[in-house]
Amino acid sequence: MKFIIQRDQLIASVQDVMKAISSRTVIPILTGMKIEAKESGITLTGSDSDISIESFIPAEENGNVNVEQIEEGSIVLQAKYFPDIVRKLPEKTVEIEADENLKVTIRSGKAEFNLNGQDAEEYPQLPKLQTNDSFELPIDLLKSLIKQTVFAVSTMETRPILTGVNIKLENGNLVFTATDSHRLASREIPVSEAPGQLPTVVVPGKSLNELNKILDDTEETVEISVTNNQILFRTKNLNFLSRLLDGNYPETSRLIPEQSKTVLHVKTKELLSTIDRASLLAKEERNNVVRLSTRGNGLIEITSNSPEVGTVAEEITVPSISGEELKISFSSKYMIDALKAIEYEEVKVEFTGAMRPFIIRPANDDPILQLILPVRTY
Amino acid sequence: MTAINPQKGRVIFHIDMNCFYASVEAAYNTALKGKPLAIAGNPEERKGIVVTSSYEARKKGVKTTMTIWQAKKNCPELIIMPPNFERYRAASRELFRILSEITPDVQPVSIDEGYMDITNVNSELSPLDLADELQKRILDELDLPCSIGIAPNKFLAKMASDMKKPLGITVLRKRELHLTLWPLPIGEMYGVGEKTAAKLVEKGIETIGDLANYDAYELKQMLGINGERLKNRANGIDNRPVDPEAIFEFKSIGSSQTLPFDTVDEQEIRKLIAVLSENVERRMGRKNAAGQSIQIMIRYQDRKTITRSKKLYRYIDAKDEIMHEAEELFHKHWNQEPVRLLGITVQDVEVKKNIATQLDLFTYEREAEKEKLYQAIEGLSEKYGKDVFKKLDAVNDDDQPRTSFQKDFLDDYKK
Repeated sequence: MKFIIQRDQLIASVQDVMKAISSRTVIPILTGMKIEAKESGITLTGSDSDISIESFIPAEENGNVNVEQIEEGSIVLQAKYFPDIVRKLPEKTVEIEADENLKVTIRSGKAEFNLNGQDAEEYPQLPKLQTNDSFELPIDLLKSLIKQTVFAVSTMETRPILTGVNIKLENGNLVFTATDSHRLASREIPVSEAPGQLPTVVVPGKSLNELNKILDDTEETVEISVTNNQILFRTKNLNFLSRLLDGNYPETSRLIPEQSKTVLHVKTKELLSTIDRASLLAKEERNNVVRLSTRGNGLIEITSNSPEVGTVAEEITVPSISGEELKISFSSKYMIDALKAIEYEEVKVEFTGAMRPFIIRPANDDPILQLILPVRTY
Repeated sequence: MTAINPQKGRVIFHIDMNCFYASVEAAYNTALKGKPLAIAGNPEERKGIVVTSSYEARKKGVKTTMTIWQAKKNCPELIIMPPNFERYRAASRELFRILSEITPDVQPVSIDEGYMDITNVNSELSPLDLADELQKRILDELDLPCSIGIAPNKFLAKMASDMKKPLGITVLRKRELHLTLWPLPIGEMYGVGEKTAAKLVEKGIETIGDLANYDAYELKQMLGINGERLKNRANGIDNRPVDPEAIFEFKSIGSSQTLPFDTVDEQEIRKLIAVLSENVERRMGRKNAAGQSIQIMIRYQDRKTITRSKKLYRYIDAKDEIMHEAEELFHKHWNQEPVRLLGITVQDVEVKKNIATQLDLFTYEREAEKEKLYQAIEGLSEKYGKDVFKKLDAVNDDDQPRTSFQKDFLDDYKK
């Protein structure tokens, strides 16, 4: 195997693939990165058996030559050293060559590294997905679906299914839902060219976080394919494969209140920064509690206190407020997460009582829903 | 004015009320002065033992923990009164109010004793004169005698206050310990109980002085970390600060009671569990607290005692909840033998305003059912102030502590 490649292209691909490589894996060869050279281009592969990422660098793209002098072949390189070596090489091109004894030479300018490689035959085959059940989405839309929901997944393994994002397609709508049982985030979008039915799946939150980091914010599309235990996100030069979580995702729609007793319209940024300030005195071990009280005359008050430290209070004038008076305590962290995810200048907050979940939506009724369970104080 | 003792280290007072309950009764009813008086719990039942007595009674051989019957035998003219905790609480409150006028560094230890750190008190009086004035003031204003110990630390101050009663003032200086403290028998040392004393005497440690000079390593072998601590104390070393907040720190709230008769009758036991749960609820209510674990204590006929506890997934403070958890624990661990005493303690206790429970999407309905009640409480609190429910309780005579060792007496101190 041998090729000469543009260093910048190689760095970008290596970085993406590294997202799937873990130094702590049960299969030793997975601590390495697989490099495969074909006439059409170079494929890098990394996997921790939960997530697998393939990044393809085409030999030619838009009239630019990325890879030259390709002699086909493949090798697995230690991922611990390879990325740093590539990053620090002196010249714009890199020559990589592997001989039949698995000795790898990396040259750039006058620098030359000789590394021991591993046999690519020993690297596990990635499963080939049947792409019957697939649909396409603009990448930027997928990214915002992820960003608006994935933060709400559970970080605790007590209910493993809640560590994932529930993705389902019904009636031409794609719905992402995540909950750690203390808050819930959900976003719905219509999908035009959807297949009739798609199995409902739960994708590990970690996988979606990594995917979000790798995907560039472009208007190109990503193709999503699902089987019963894997999901594949495919863009032009990238395959991102994740295992799915086993088990039934709890039915959450019936837990979302349909009526409300107090409705509040408020400027997102104003509420966000007020709660952020109040949270300075809220302590993590006490659920980061802040308190919201309606004050009449279009005023709400945000307060917080910490017995050893002190208290804080701030009033906000809100565009509209209707319904019953209310005093409710909740985690400032959950509120901040939710408000940040909504990305709209005004939000509508609907309460149904101090001990019941409340809902935050964009004021324009975009189908984004952030739900938070309050904190019971005495 | 200058601080009392700017360069020479700390000056600690230990204030110890003399025969507190009996003195309070005599202050209320001067006819009792100079007479042998004993305060005793429920005279009919076997709990009827002498809680405390006046010096006149003590002279006639009446001792604390003696049964009423025996005390009467030693001193036929003995006047016996049931305890009146409301009075003692009131007197105690006044006492600590007077102390805290001198310095905020007051650490109440129990209803009738406390430490003061007067190191930083600005006064022209010497510590001895200050103590003298304090003792007179307590006697004038409250008609109650006390003894005061003055020393560079808490241990020595405590030992000092014990040396002269009633109305004593004793100074223990570190350089005079070999004359003042060391000759005392080891059993009189604060912190040395009966069992420890017996162990020490067996090793030939008969006086506090013997302990002060005993081998530290051997003491540690014998008594563990406490051995080292006791040796230090005997040498006049005790760095514990006077901590005004110490009394307010509580991690558990409990109640225990001896049955009139040892029993296997589940009805009787259930009744007692209900009473104890109610006591615990009341005490937690007074402190505005709730707890996250429950512990029960069962003492059997043969005095064999077991304690068993359980961590709960939520905070509890209501009688029903306490009773439910206690009964469950009881039935799990009871060996069917006759029960003499039962105790229920709620542990991992926090003040309610510091407790916040994050509700859960899948279980919130349960909490939400109580919403109306919480709203009502909150509404009343806002209207009439935070203490509306506590005040109701305080009016209720039933709410007063029934045992002398409870620290509840100080709940209103500093409010």
